[in-house]
Amino acid sequence: MRFRRYVAPNRDGSYRFEFPEPLKMLIVQLADELNQSIGDDNPDLARLFPTAYAKDPELDAGYQILARGELIDHRTTAFDTVKSSATKDVLDDEQLTAWMGVVNDLRLVLGTRLDVSEDDRELSEDHPDARAYEIYMLLGHVLSEIVDGLSSNLPDEGTGERPAPGIDLG
Amino acid sequence: MEVEEPEVTTATDEDRPWVVLVWNDPINLMPYVTFVFQKLFGYSKEKATSLMMDVHEKGRATVSSGTRTEAEHDVHRLHAHGLWATMEHDE
Repeated sequence: MRFRRYVAPNRDGSYRFEFPEPLKMLIVQLADELNQSIGDDNPDLARLFPTAYAKDPELDAGYQILARGELIDHRTTAFDTVKSSATKDVLDDEQLTAWMGVVNDLRLVLGTRLDVSEDDRELSEDHPDARAYEIYMLLGHVLSEIVDGLSSNLPDEGTGERPAPGIDLG
Repeated sequence: MEVEEPEVTTATDEDRPWVVLVWNDPINLMPYVTFVFQKLFGYSKEKATSLMMDVHEKGRATVSSGTRTEAEHDVHRLHAHGLWATMEHDE
């Protein structure tokens, strides 16, 4: 059988974006909570701000001073785009990319909190993490569809382009 | 991003390229990682997939190399995409 696809490219470069309204609202709500706590000193957020210089704490401290604020700004901008496009069923590349980033960030935070491993696991319904794990898996499906959609507009042979330093975060 | 000027180092240090590594993690989806490599580095799907499989199976892969400024920019972009990237001097 064929499953319905919720994300698909249109000929004009835009994308159909037809996830059920409640699912989009859930993502906006979770993203809003994350957006409001993104500056907190919370171990669940560690994956959003990784170490750059693993072997040199001094250089890494310098990197963190510059990068952290920009990574927060980048995510806040993506969240604003998600929020403002939540009721649309056609998105442009920039909007769909923002959804991809936000959904991936939510998975990183939730996956860290749940301490997930590479193996899928089944949690009993009354497990305290059951709902969170269900959302984590659901976000994985959403992300897969978005990545499939965006990938279809990337050339398989590659562009060979590596943006020069100093430009945006892509 | 605004990148700080490299500190004064010896010519030897300057000549040695920096490498950008991406490390395996249990959260990021394999197709997502492949997509990010294609998008950020302009790699072909084949090359991006092969790097992703190295990350998955060997625990890490070198995804780019260059000057410290270039490597730091790549690490920063990978971090913005939620990948676990680090940089170090090539050995």
